[in-house]
Amino acid sequence: MEIYIISMCVVAGIYAVMALGLNVMWGMAGLVNLGLVGSAAAGAYTSAILTKTFAIPIPLGIMAGAIVAAAVGAVLSLVTRRLKEHYLAIVTLGFAETIRIVASNEIWLTNGTDGISGIAGPFRADLTPFQYNLVYLGIVLLVLLGLYVCCQRISYSPLGRVLRAVRDDDMVVSVAGKNAQSFKLKAFSIGSGIIGLAGGLYAHYTSFISPDLFVPLLTLYVKLSLLVGGVGNNRGAVVGAALIILILEGSRFVVPFIPYISPAQGAAIRELFLSATLLIVLRFRVTGLIPEPHDHPVIPRPGTATAGTSIKAF
Amino acid sequence: MNVLQLIANGIMAGSILAIPAIGLTAMYSVLRFPNFAIASHATVGAFAGWVANSVYGFSVLPSLAIALLISGLVGLLTDELILKPFRSAGVITTAIGSLALTIGLENVVRLFFGNDLRGYDLPLARDIIVGGIHLGPQQLNNLAVSIVVMALVFGFLFFTRMGKAMRAVADNPRLADIKGIDSRIVARIASFMGMGLAGLGGMLIGLDSSIDPLTGFRSMLPIFAAAVVGGLGSIPGAVAGALVIGIAEELSLLALPASYKSAVAFIAIMLILTLRPQGLFGREAN
Amino acid sequence: MNRREFLSASAIVAGSLCAPGILRAETVIKLGVLTPLTGAGASDGPRMVKAMQAVVEEVNKAGGVIGRSIELVVEDDQTNPEAAVRAAQKLVGVDRVPVIMGTWASAVTSAVAPVCWESKTCLMTVSGADSITQLPHQGYIFRTQPNTALQATKHAEYIASVGAKKVFYVAVQTPFAATMREQIASVLTAKGSSLVGGLIYESNKTSYRSEIDSAIAAKPDFIYLNSYSPDLTVLLKDLYRAGYSGGRITQSYAYTSKVAEGIQADVTDGLITVQPSSDVGSEAYSLVQKRLSNPAADSYEAQATDWISLALLAVQKSGKVVGTDIRDAVRLISQGGGTKVYSAAEGLKLLQQGKDVNYDGASGNCDFNEKGDIMDCRFRYSAAKGGKIELIKIV
Repeated sequence: MEIYIISMCVVAGIYAVMALGLNVMWGMAGLVNLGLVGSAAAGAYTSAILTKTFAIPIPLGIMAGAIVAAAVGAVLSLVTRRLKEHYLAIVTLGFAETIRIVASNEIWLTNGTDGISGIAGPFRADLTPFQYNLVYLGIVLLVLLGLYVCCQRISYSPLGRVLRAVRDDDMVVSVAGKNAQSFKLKAFSIGSGIIGLAGGLYAHYTSFISPDLFVPLLTLYVKLSLLVGGVGNNRGAVVGAALIILILEGSRFVVPFIPYISPAQGAAIRELFLSATLLIVLRFRVTGLIPEPHDHPVIPRPGTATAGTSIKAF
Repeated sequence: MNVLQLIANGIMAGSILAIPAIGLTAMYSVLRFPNFAIASHATVGAFAGWVANSVYGFSVLPSLAIALLISGLVGLLTDELILKPFRSAGVITTAIGSLALTIGLENVVRLFFGNDLRGYDLPLARDIIVGGIHLGPQQLNNLAVSIVVMALVFGFLFFTRMGKAMRAVADNPRLADIKGIDSRIVARIASFMGMGLAGLGGMLIGLDSSIDPLTGFRSMLPIFAAAVVGGLGSIPGAVAGALVIGIAEELSLLALPASYKSAVAFIAIMLILTLRPQGLFGREAN
Repeated sequence: MNRREFLSASAIVAGSLCAPGILRAETVIKLGVLTPLTGAGASDGPRMVKAMQAVVEEVNKAGGVIGRSIELVVEDDQTNPEAAVRAAQKLVGVDRVPVIMGTWASAVTSAVAPVCWESKTCLMTVSGADSITQLPHQGYIFRTQPNTALQATKHAEYIASVGAKKVFYVAVQTPFAATMREQIASVLTAKGSSLVGGLIYESNKTSYRSEIDSAIAAKPDFIYLNSYSPDLTVLLKDLYRAGYSGGRITQSYAYTSKVAEGIQADVTDGLITVQPSSDVGSEAYSLVQKRLSNPAADSYEAQATDWISLALLAVQKSGKVVGTDIRDAVRLISQGGGTKVYSAAEGLKLLQQGKDVNYDGASGNCDFNEKGDIMDCRFRYSAAKGGKIELIKIV
């Protein structure tokens, strides 16, 4: 039981790191990214290939993964710089699918759909599974704490203020003499870098990655984490990730008590339960469980009035 | 490979995509959010049509009508009960709410129908050859259904009061409000029509292949791609976008392995949107 | 009624309601099932669960294993490695199952394999990627699916034996798609026919017309369709429309009796399906047909039957419900000089009498090499005819 709880905490921690990265893009700068698994894949594959082929130390591999993911994010941000948010949503979704397809086909680099197995984990050979999970939980929590502090600092730094302004009204930013585009680029690459780092953490934790890992479902889970926790809020990102894992895992223990259903129906009910819980949380707490602090006396809370990208129809 | 044949195949594939893409874009123009629940509604329509066709023995055309009706009603209900309250929270929250909804509905279908593949009761005809190009009668029928549906949608939008009201709300909700158009009714019509078309598209896809709870989800990305390439909110755009996606995927076989098909579609989207950020037929956003 | 009476009365009521439950709680043996119930593999997972449950029911009725009854703990792997790892952690961490059965996608199996061998849990799978048994799994992995080389060789020999001269290979993108093509090509050449081309396609598309056109352009007289059910139905329809009239072969798990119900019979007539099989005289397969009331039980149902039977026999043999002991006992009951048995119930009876058994399964003899692959098997070829699937021969 303990090992299960610890390993789920590790997964929740990695989800939380991704949610933090997403928050930099989406929460702070208002940039929609439905392709975050693409960044996670870039980070995971970079780290896995570097540590396996060139035997570089794991922390360096993960860092390299984060850098590559940040660079890929920057390029994506440049390519999509003129797109409005709904268009950005579909393009990023397509970007992640393209990364997955490339990873499936370029066997020389990624080993194709076979995936890469035997990725090194820290001291894995010398520890029992229980100890290993405990050590990894420590590492993930440290990384999470470090990133949380960094993100908090970004949030309250001049950069964070500008990003929020970019999100709420980029005209204001331009008037203030700032280049909104370069701030968007920064936010996108920092966010992608953090998500790439989470991808690396996951690769070294489970020791196996394959293209099938990086499907839209994972994006959705992370996205929902942030949404449930509270967009624009780092604490919300962490709490939301923990909650999502709690719902995903908790439902396993509830469903067997429902009589007269087949296992496939049980699986369907589990997913229904997830969907219903999320819809209910979102319905009654639209701002997430921990809303973004907002104490400006005059400027209204964003989100209600900003939906007006009125695209003329027909 | 015969380029004309590839283009013909692309048009066939695109014309089926066009129907749900029209639905998506029509909903978008009024409700102003990308509705991911279109995937599960395509599945709902496919299963409703299957029940009508295989269980109750209706022929294909009435079954298609039933698919449209049922998925339209489900779309209307889910929008009223589930998605409407989200809209005040912003576009992306609503969009993600619709993603959660699509998982929910997919699993309602799974709960009642299970995961087995199902096929429609429909004789399959061999291709006819016109000028050296193979054309499937079933695909030609689908093409005809698509064209008729597109014509009906246009007729509805341009020649009926409700259609004109819909366009007015899409164009400028505030102005429409001043003019006394009840935007709530327009929103309901848009949900019914959009999801109905999604369901019809789901069944058309199923006629060509087979259906299971993932039918809609498999086609979700190409449907979105079609609507986005054409310009979200533009109905001719959705048709053009669907044809672009369909043809681009088939033509990609000339240069790349078949396992790269979808990637090519996405690269096409990126290229088009880089040149025209508002999509082919979208007007310049303000 | 005073308090004590009430308590004892309710205890009796509760006891009678869940007597089997209490009995189970004390003595039950929990075995893990991890299989796709949602996602891309969802049309295959539930069949495997049913096949395993059928065996468990039969064994429980006959008195269970080492005097205890069996319970399957079923988790959904969502056909996704990330979700599967969480589910596997739950099975080994909370239910402490000694064996996990039923992983389908190769990526899922590779992802959960380290969780299994590190927690000393056996893993039984249908996944086809050759890399799986190459993992450093210390003997914990058993794969009943024949490896790529064995399948490709035998299938190609069969194709050549029916007189096909020009064969085309169509496969979904999987870890074994490309290696299988090479192997088929070399066997065909050795047998005097040839592979005229091959293509690897992307799964989940709604039409494969252009892919089919390019296959037909090579003028094959036989097409090997290495696909899963959803794509296969599209491919078969597109082949029919295009007027292709040559031979077609596919795996039995792709063209199951359920799939057959959904496709027009004239589209599939003549389609050959293949699945691993035991010897001609073996009763194991006919027992599966009877147990599942399915005359065309497919490869996955047969393999699922074999996993649970092997696991139960190994528990009985070792006398313990421990992963490592099961691992060590599997080869003692699956191969060697014991009495041939064709079902778990039959084998358990003999083991309880202290006799040695050699389990002969529905998907083959179930003789494993040191890597966990089956050593050899025969193949069962059937043909679709009027929507039914009829046996041609076992070679």
